[in-house]
Amino acid sequence: MKRLLSSNCLWITIVLLILLIFPWIQRSQYSQHVMVMTMMAAVLASSWNILGGYAGYTSLGHAAFFGLGGYLVALAHNHFGWHPFISTWFLAFIVTGVALILGWISLRTQGSAFVVVTIAMVFIFRIVALNLASITNGARGLTQARPGWAGVPWSPEFIKIPFHYIMLLLLCLTIFVSWRIRQSKFGLGLIAIREDEGKAEAVGINTMLYKVLAFGISAYFMGVAGGIYSYFFTYIDPQFIFDIFTGVTMVLIAILGGRGTLWGPVLGAFIMEPLGNWIIGTFGGTQIHLTIFGAILLIVMLFMPQGILPTLSEVIRQRGKVKLAKVPS
Amino acid sequence: MTVPSTHLLIQTIILGILVGGVYALMASGLTLIFGVMRVINVAHGAFLIFAAYCTYWLFQLVRLDPIISIVLTAPLLFVLGWVIQRYILSRIESPERSSVIITFALAVTLEGLMGTLWKTTIRSVKPEYASEVLKFATYRFPVTRLAGFAAALLVLLILYIILERTNLGRAIRATIQDRNAAQLVGVNVQMVSAITFGIGIATAAAGGSLLSMIYSFNASSQTDWITRVLSVIVLGGMGSLPGAFIAAIILGVMEQLTAVVLTLYWSPIVFYLFLFLTLIFRPQGLMGTVVREKA
Repeated sequence: MKRLLSSNCLWITIVLLILLIFPWIQRSQYSQHVMVMTMMAAVLASSWNILGGYAGYTSLGHAAFFGLGGYLVALAHNHFGWHPFISTWFLAFIVTGVALILGWISLRTQGSAFVVVTIAMVFIFRIVALNLASITNGARGLTQARPGWAGVPWSPEFIKIPFHYIMLLLLCLTIFVSWRIRQSKFGLGLIAIREDEGKAEAVGINTMLYKVLAFGISAYFMGVAGGIYSYFFTYIDPQFIFDIFTGVTMVLIAILGGRGTLWGPVLGAFIMEPLGNWIIGTFGGTQIHLTIFGAILLIVMLFMPQGILPTLSEVIRQRGKVKLAKVPS
Repeated sequence: MTVPSTHLLIQTIILGILVGGVYALMASGLTLIFGVMRVINVAHGAFLIFAAYCTYWLFQLVRLDPIISIVLTAPLLFVLGWVIQRYILSRIESPERSSVIITFALAVTLEGLMGTLWKTTIRSVKPEYASEVLKFATYRFPVTRLAGFAAALLVLLILYIILERTNLGRAIRATIQDRNAAQLVGVNVQMVSAITFGIGIATAAAGGSLLSMIYSFNASSQTDWITRVLSVIVLGGMGSLPGAFIAAIILGVMEQLTAVVLTLYWSPIVFYLFLFLTLIFRPQGLMGTVVREKA
């Protein structure tokens, strides 16, 4: 892993540099917007990957934590004036707490049953948010003041830039944590659970603890991202933020790039999110983008269930073998 | 929270039972498919809505009665189901690992297609008897729900006869009990799977036709319906038809009661809570086997 990273060090630096100067070379509001959304998609897919990729537990319900983060941050901003860029990092710990409890309950199920439980979870959150109208303002949603700092709103021309950098920071943090987990004994334990939970338990891994922890950690980044998102749009409503489709998109991105790999979800996000924006931009108000997403997911699941990165590295390995075989002759 | 009078309570339970019959029909196909193929068909809700749209257009264009249109929608969706099983689902190597994601992808694909073709306008079929109500000893029976309940029972009866009295039914039941053993005694399991999926989707078609006159819908209603139907089969016990029937009645009544005691907006939570709690605390449901495969 360390070798892989050091050999990749060069291009990680290049990509990071490009992302750092991106808003200054690409001045179009649209591109800046798409870039923020792309990095957010990468955050969501990477943190989903901690549970769904490493531990192999497919959750379609992580939008519940994304939405919870969004609501907590919006409420704290409106009622106490806490700035979302700061409060989201702390309030996401509440999201983690909720996730630890829900994880402890729901991770008793496995396989298809777990997927179905997580689907139910999003809908429970949505209905609660719709009905607790005294807190959440129900279906009318919550509106926040225009983004700014210390009472001074940012000028519309530069408004995407602070979001660009905070999302980049979150993305780096998510990848770093995901990488550390992948390297650690904890990560090995999660992978052991994915391969054979019974055997993992037999060799002394506290599988329940590992799974619940992975669930909580992945929910943390969901919560932070949800908080930033709610401020980015300055408006959230239950229908919009507790959306099962958000969860499906994360899964599609992670699976497309390479489930269980460190960089797969990031690669998937940088493919799917601009593509999705292009589709919505081209086909406008129709719902054809759902069909295109569904069809891509279907094709990937049927013909390339490993995802792009593992398939690519397999191809490269095969080539290497051929070369090696040629040398002696 | 309001405490309903006895009269209102009985009226609510009647409505719940009537709705429950339709839920039972919708869920029967799903539980059958799971029993035979171990696939949780998350696209079931999308098929329901697709059938509802077919019924809607048949009614708008040629004034065909929604109940009679089952005769057309069911065969149409049988063929569609057959094709999908034959060319997509049969490719799944381990259904326990990936069937939910694949059928979810299918559901999203269908939802997008329907949303593109027919926009997001909320539709419902209103035959002449739509607003009629029969009265029996001060209790009210809306005609559409009564007719829906009767039609649901009829289709379930046909399904029961197919399963219990025909060779195909015996093959299906054998496959549910033990796939490998069924194959050993000469059942063409692939064929049985395709036919079962077709039948399952055909019952969804019947359910969708009834849905179209009892509820209003658009393409995105499918997520709402799939969770309702899923909670029915999970509570009943995956793969168990009698279980699905009992669970459907229970959930129908619970939904109506919640609507009366709390508000209409809270009532869908009954399904999600039952789904959540059943899977966690009694995964085998009322009368089924445990769903415990690895994803």
